[in-house]
Amino acid sequence: MAARLGKEFMATVSLQLIIGGILQGGIYALAAFGLSLIFGVSNILNLAHGEFLMLGAMVSFLVYTGTELSPFVTALGLIPLFFAVGSLFERGLIRPLSGRPDHMRLVASILVTLGASIAIEDFASFAFGPNEKALAYTLPSFQVGPIIVSTIRLAGLAFILVLTLALHTFLKRTYQGRAIVATTQSRRGAMLVGVNIQRVANLSFGIGAILAALAGVFFVIMFPVTPYVGLPLTLKYLCIIVLGGLGSLFGTLLGGLVLGLVEILVAYYSPHWSETSAFIILVLILLIRPQGLFGRFSG
Amino acid sequence: MRTTLLLLLVAFLASIPFLGSSYLPTFFIILFMNLILASSYDIVGGYLGYVNLGHAVFFGLGAYTFGITWNAQAPLGVAFVCAVAAAVIFAALMAYPFFRLHGAYFSLGTFGLIRLFELLAFNFGSLTGGSGGLSVPSSYRLLPTFYTTLILALLTLAIVYKIAKSRLGLAFVSIREDEKVARDFGVPVLRYQTLALMLSASIAGLMGAVYTWYIIYINPEAVFGTEMALLPVAMAMLGGTGAIAGPVIGAVFISIVEEFLWTKLPYLHLAAYGLVIAGVGLFMPGGIVRVPFIEARLRWLGLVEDL
Repeated sequence: MAARLGKEFMATVSLQLIIGGILQGGIYALAAFGLSLIFGVSNILNLAHGEFLMLGAMVSFLVYTGTELSPFVTALGLIPLFFAVGSLFERGLIRPLSGRPDHMRLVASILVTLGASIAIEDFASFAFGPNEKALAYTLPSFQVGPIIVSTIRLAGLAFILVLTLALHTFLKRTYQGRAIVATTQSRRGAMLVGVNIQRVANLSFGIGAILAALAGVFFVIMFPVTPYVGLPLTLKYLCIIVLGGLGSLFGTLLGGLVLGLVEILVAYYSPHWSETSAFIILVLILLIRPQGLFGRFSG
Repeated sequence: MRTTLLLLLVAFLASIPFLGSSYLPTFFIILFMNLILASSYDIVGGYLGYVNLGHAVFFGLGAYTFGITWNAQAPLGVAFVCAVAAAVIFAALMAYPFFRLHGAYFSLGTFGLIRLFELLAFNFGSLTGGSGGLSVPSSYRLLPTFYTTLILALLTLAIVYKIAKSRLGLAFVSIREDEKVARDFGVPVLRYQTLALMLSASIAGLMGAVYTWYIIYINPEAVFGTEMALLPVAMAMLGGTGAIAGPVIGAVFISIVEEFLWTKLPYLHLAAYGLVIAGVGLFMPGGIVRVPFIEARLRWLGLVEDL
């Protein structure tokens, strides 16, 4: 991508890079917010979160190769499907752990989500094959002045924007959404005012899985996907959560954007250092502000 | 009685190379390595109560430092010392910033650290060989490695046993149970956290060096990869953290399961492995050693301590 962009004017190039970075950051933020929601509500480090993304990507790839249906339409169908996947995941694997002492619960949640992650990756690789899947879906690009605008990226950005707004409205305006926010702020306080914690945890896993699966749809349009992308991506989302601070939609969005922009800009100058920069940022943030850039610490 | 049993076990392990199979020593080297990594992880993970997902950072640092210094014509002993020093110095440096994080945040930060090291090992190709990996001169090392890892395994267990029975172990556990209370009672929390991490790092670093010496060729994926990072943690948790027998049982169990699955299942052995790990997390809180029947037997052998 950098090579193709290199032919443009420097100003145009940087604009293109920034648009690319924002889109990549938006995709990161989408999946990371689901993880942050889950972590905020149930204090579970869901190491299998990237697998939802991988499965979402695989399903939309299979649907596209089978029926040529636009991935954006598939995305709508993924919403109920992955809500069910996420809440089943919570019911079967996470709920049995509640009620154990904190330290034991942390250990058990790492074992369970890690085991699930390894198993899902291997089953996916068995079912879909271990090779890279790239979805060859394009829409015509158009030109505004010197800038070439890719319609697909624009549609992706619009989709992410709409989702973020919908999520924001859900969290601020509906009872269930406010119950989630309340639980994130204080578990005990939420219980005292009569919030059903278990239902909220179930809901947050459902929503988290939806967001990750939708991020997977955009992911497979932009990059080739293998069954093994899950764990490294989970790590990157964790990095974003740390960057943005726990449970804050705004912080996570900003954290995702910062990471996306940094990665794209660094990749333009030196592709090797692009991914490394993300983790250098993670470690630096931990050194300087352990509570995240925008968050309050609630360890 | 107990001492006799343990001595018999050690004698049996030491005589394995004379049983005539060349496969058995190879298997036991891997088993000892797993055991050493799981037990050294448990100093921080089990007794101190910080789930350090970046334990393999020390292993990898040891492995690479050994390879680089030995290739630079340093004597073998010096290369081993350098490997341990690198791991310990890094542990001392990372202790202050990382122990400001608690619970899942600590796990998250250390998990990020291991990925960072993998990428750095890829990027600094002039030093590490990058994705091409690093080779060291080869010669016959099967039996020397077998006895080195056996002795290192026994040494690790002795160190963990000593810690568990000492005031130091008590201080670690008090930090695990409630850091604030421990601090109020005059436990120098940060100093002990740093000490625990350095102890844990020195063993893992030495094991890393022995690994490079034995396996001859390493690359970033092999020493800093996700599987390497999670394996010791999974083994310790599977067996039961914070008990000397826990990581041992976990390491033996996983080594055997892996060997068995490798030969019996053509596909999906990683999936089966994942399901075993998830199953233990779901159904065996506290790991295998905390299953009542097993705990009673281990208690009779004096291998479970009430900390």
